[in-house]
Amino acid sequence: MASLLTGKVSSGMTQPLPSSVASDLAEIVGHEHVITDPDRLLVYESDGLTAYRRSPRAVVLPSSTEEISAVVGLLHSNGIEVIPRGAGTGLSGGALATPEGVIVGTARMNRILKIDVENRIAIAQPGVINARLTEATNPYGLYYAPDPSSQSTCTLGGNVAENSGGPHCLKYGVTARYVTGLTVVLAGGRIVELGGVGRDPYTTLDLVGLFVGSEGCFGIATEIELRLLPITEGVRTLLGIFESVESAGRAVTKIIASGLMPAAVEIVDGPTIEAVEASVFAAGYPLEAGAALVIEFDGTEAGLDLDADRAEQCCLEEGAIEVQRATDPEHRMKLWRARKKAFGAMGRIAPDLLVQDATVPRTKLPEVLAGIDNIGNRYGLKIANVFHAGDGNLHPNILFDRQNQNELELVERASKEIMQLCVDAGGTITGEHGVGVDKREYMTLVHGPAELEAMAAAKRVFDPASLFNPGKVLPAVEVKEANESRSN
Amino acid sequence: MRVDLTDSLSRLLPGEAFGHSVPSSLWAVLRTGVETVVAPGSTEEVATLLKWASEMGVRVVPIGTGAHMCPRYPRDPFIVLTTSRLKEIQHYEPADLTMTASAGASIRDLSTETAIYGQWLPFDPPDVPNRTLGGLVATGLSGPLWAGYGQLRNHVLGATIVCGDGRALRLGGKVVKNVAGFDILKLMVGSRGELAVITSVTVRLFPLPVVDQLLVLEATDVSELVSTARAVATAPIMPASIILSGTSDGGRLLVRLHGAKVSVEADQKSLEKHTGVSFEVRNTPEAESLLVHKRDSRINAELAVRVWALPSRIGVLLDVLKKVPGVSLNADVYGGSVRAYLPVNLSDIESSLAGLQKDIEELGGTIRALRIPAEVNASSYFAKPLVDEGELAAGLKRAFDPHAVLWGIE
Amino acid sequence: MTGAPAYEALGQALDAQKERLLPCVHCGFCLPACPTYNRLGNEADSPRGRLHLMQAVVEGRLDPSSEAFRTHIDRCLGCRACEPVCPSGVEYGTLLELARETATKAVPQGLPTRFLLKVLGTRALRSPFFFIGRLLRGTGLAALGATVLPSYGPFRAIRLVLAMLASTTRWQPMASEEATSGNTDSGSHDVSRRSRVAVLLGCVQEGLFARINSATVRVLEANGYEVVLVEGQDCCGALHAHGGDLESARMLARSNIRAFKASGADLIAVNAAGCGAAMKDYGILLEGDPDFVQRAEEVALAVRDVSEILASSGPRIGASIPCKIAYDHPCHLLHAQGVEHAPITVLEAVPDAEVHIVAGAEECCGGAGIYGITHPELGGLIGGDKVSAVRACLADVVATPNPGCMMQIGAGLRLEASNEGVIHPVELLDESYRRAGFYRAGGAE
Repeated sequence: MASLLTGKVSSGMTQPLPSSVASDLAEIVGHEHVITDPDRLLVYESDGLTAYRRSPRAVVLPSSTEEISAVVGLLHSNGIEVIPRGAGTGLSGGALATPEGVIVGTARMNRILKIDVENRIAIAQPGVINARLTEATNPYGLYYAPDPSSQSTCTLGGNVAENSGGPHCLKYGVTARYVTGLTVVLAGGRIVELGGVGRDPYTTLDLVGLFVGSEGCFGIATEIELRLLPITEGVRTLLGIFESVESAGRAVTKIIASGLMPAAVEIVDGPTIEAVEASVFAAGYPLEAGAALVIEFDGTEAGLDLDADRAEQCCLEEGAIEVQRATDPEHRMKLWRARKKAFGAMGRIAPDLLVQDATVPRTKLPEVLAGIDNIGNRYGLKIANVFHAGDGNLHPNILFDRQNQNELELVERASKEIMQLCVDAGGTITGEHGVGVDKREYMTLVHGPAELEAMAAAKRVFDPASLFNPGKVLPAVEVKEANESRSN
Repeated sequence: MRVDLTDSLSRLLPGEAFGHSVPSSLWAVLRTGVETVVAPGSTEEVATLLKWASEMGVRVVPIGTGAHMCPRYPRDPFIVLTTSRLKEIQHYEPADLTMTASAGASIRDLSTETAIYGQWLPFDPPDVPNRTLGGLVATGLSGPLWAGYGQLRNHVLGATIVCGDGRALRLGGKVVKNVAGFDILKLMVGSRGELAVITSVTVRLFPLPVVDQLLVLEATDVSELVSTARAVATAPIMPASIILSGTSDGGRLLVRLHGAKVSVEADQKSLEKHTGVSFEVRNTPEAESLLVHKRDSRINAELAVRVWALPSRIGVLLDVLKKVPGVSLNADVYGGSVRAYLPVNLSDIESSLAGLQKDIEELGGTIRALRIPAEVNASSYFAKPLVDEGELAAGLKRAFDPHAVLWGIE
Repeated sequence: MTGAPAYEALGQALDAQKERLLPCVHCGFCLPACPTYNRLGNEADSPRGRLHLMQAVVEGRLDPSSEAFRTHIDRCLGCRACEPVCPSGVEYGTLLELARETATKAVPQGLPTRFLLKVLGTRALRSPFFFIGRLLRGTGLAALGATVLPSYGPFRAIRLVLAMLASTTRWQPMASEEATSGNTDSGSHDVSRRSRVAVLLGCVQEGLFARINSATVRVLEANGYEVVLVEGQDCCGALHAHGGDLESARMLARSNIRAFKASGADLIAVNAAGCGAAMKDYGILLEGDPDFVQRAEEVALAVRDVSEILASSGPRIGASIPCKIAYDHPCHLLHAQGVEHAPITVLEAVPDAEVHIVAGAEECCGGAGIYGITHPELGGLIGGDKVSAVRACLADVVATPNPGCMMQIGAGLRLEASNEGVIHPVELLDESYRRAGFYRAGGAE
């Protein structure tokens, strides 16, 4: 994808890897799993956020904890930065290479090592695809709860790095809730075990909790112990059709405030409906609707119809045009598929797309949505909203055409205004996509220099020489200033 | 505490910060007599105190009520920082199910407020109503309810803290999903005041269950209930909590079901079908008293340990623990931990504990002293972190409390 | 690196396809669907990676004659499993063919590929070629060679080819001679909706599986369709398009369009998934040809897999054939044509035939033309997984409606000395009708 936003695409030449390092890497993982050909490295120049491009010096694809440890040890001893990468589906540029860096990919570490049915845990390698864990544990009546929209392709290692969410984290919580233990490879290739379900969690600090969401800046998780849940007995999925996204937002507030605990509450707005219905995942959403609200309840079969009735009532009170109920599993899957594939389906209605991610207090949804609409109108940009409404986690997708240079600048300005709007409403700059490179400059909207320095200090404990995924998460300038002010 | 130090501090903080008392039991835990107690009235005053302590080389012991602390040995001189003057609810938006309150607010007071809106904090470690919000977060304890609600660490959305060197930080925020930066907030949950003093906390609240049903199964020996308890823990439904308690008089399995009336009834049926037993339903206040978090008598026992292992090992843990004469046991079947309250007249405490420790560790579990008589060296009975974890924790300690002002990680 | 003649070619080919390339938002949903990525873990061997390489060529950042471009474009099986999972609807198959053409123009294909394409696309060469093939099969030499030849060095490929050839033998439990054919008895079956159906005979199908073509005609007739013979039809051109020889593919397509238009048939029944997928895309193949594009689209719209035609009217139930069948989806039926249930419906019209879907049936068998020969290791890996999955069904016979897949799976089973037969679903239905006596009545053919 061509340069999206001016100044973000690296023009610096990537330095080739010294041949001795390349041959040592090949010694560790096998020749075919070390990529150094610049032509081939092109495919690793972006992750799911193509606004940024930079080829790594090499890509290494190890297959075990020991190989990762040896690879990291070798690279770090040569002062070479390591950029961890899973499936490359991240939306904040978290797997973007540095000019000096080597990507260590987990694609070949795709084995589920253990399923402990008695204790309801599984141990997986980081390259295991999220949905595969649920598939593998379903025969035991268990499943893995976090379900990011990219779950059919994103990896558990990436989920740990980003602390991924998903529609059902409204009721079930995000990745951090399910990670009970980790084997990690830290700076210099040191293999360290953290936590574990059978160990007293109060013997030390919550290092597992700190590692989850560290965006590859602390190390690489090479074995992940995860908590599984029993498959719920029943599910009810509702689809509320609204004239406007604001009224759908009000219905969400009403449902949550009424004491109901839905498993998921998602809003798909008009422009998104248009895109999804044009794609192979068309779910039969009415094209003239201003917004569709997907509400799901799960749990004991006996209580579900009551919950669904109450939620339906809330929707109707807020002016829903109609409320449908998915009657069979196939219909339910179809409703969800449309929601989950919405991001990809945007390719249908515009050549380019900037996926935003921010969280606001749920009660602020209607006013923030109106504000986003207003920003879109002012800049003449189409903004499609598809998001986890129950959590207040917004995904305004700005649609544009990168060929139009003028539009690029407008996109950038609109994007910034949306972030500010969300922060002003008491929200934050990212709910689940992470900071990566894309949101570094927004970090100062929500954190002061002292907080940023504290984060930098935590990173230094794990990675003193900053050889893991440098240039991500923390805005370099602020950290430097904080250092200066501290030494004063 | 030397007089000149107290003098220099009294010039920095208002008079209201001084002259506070703490429970006498605290001094037993701290193995010392009365020292200076300071009660700052704001985050800024906490920062002032810690900056001063850093300069003076004075150790600070932060407490909530001071009633639930594990034995420690702070070196002299030290002062006790109590959050007892930090009590207000700063922000409560029922429609968002979020609340921000100062660290010293008691769970009882907060619950009274949230109950008005049909909401609550679903955490039930022992004596929870008498704990403070800051203390709850600092200990990181969720109680057996984490089976149904998840752990406290997942529901702390934000906090204001003051690091050991007096830096005040605002961590997290007011929203339920937030990945803006490294999660040092999570590091504070369960950090026992070793990195920073927590001055306010934002938590996620939950709607109160329409029905809170307690299912009881009794037996003459707690071991007879283990297989049923494990069957409940691996049933297709997830109860709010599963507790096994036992004394020499007999054992009890307590299963809490939360939800609408119809779903709770259906859950009970499904559990009975799955386990093949019939439970007794008790919703009277008498039954409520069976839940350990409602009581505070036994948790004040002078000798208490917590044992932890894989949940599937709960039966063997209980087999070992129940051999101690006069022991009272309380197990979180879902989490895999057992609290054992031991009689103080245990003839030889040290050798009994050492024996227990050996047996538990052989079973792959860990044991930790929660409360221990003054004459026993408690540090032998702390579950130790792995070496690497300990090093990382020590590094984080240096980052947040560079002058080692706050008691903690040794 | 740009400015080479090959790049110019691409400028015309891929660049003209921007509309097809741009919808890729790099979401990565295609990665786990890709058999090569799943096994190699290298993103250059994933659909997203290949699209990225194509884009780089279009942008002039990558030379189409570069080893990277050629290797990774070549290594694609062309199974198109990435298409149904793509939320943006990227037309990967079409883009792959253009990329192959670009890469082939930069550096020609290897000799075996060029030879095979030449033979298949030329009627005069085809008949002696397949005659020799049938001779090797009929004399048992193919089977013998597949058994005795060693599995290393140059023998490996020969052994595989012979095994593929041997696997085209009729499954033993089927009638040993061509059905006692005659005008089929339409019986009490509803014939009111009788349409005129033409049958594509194809190249490999006619050369090695003529019995399937005959079975197709009989089964269609037994279901009340009027089958029209189409003179002048040729190879569909699918393999040429997949191989990047779009010019030959277009030539063949034009011949077929002329022939089928002239036949006046309402529908064109195709019994090879690869051919059906190619013919359904004739409109796209000839979109740059104003003289033909209209007719190409009309022909494409008339193309059906034979199972689609049979399933649409609910195939007539035949006589019992008790057997356990392992069904495997051909990629070009499931992914390229979106036909999932119709062939199973055909099998289910045979009483007592028990159908099991092979685990991982949606994944490519590794056949992909002559992939097993051009990419022995990777092809062997993918094929080996398929053979294991088939064997795990403990079935009597494997059914899959595509000659390439039949040969690939058949060869794999044969090389592992496993006894399952391989059939086209229509073959089983045909046998079932024969046993039911549907073909007995009426006069001679």
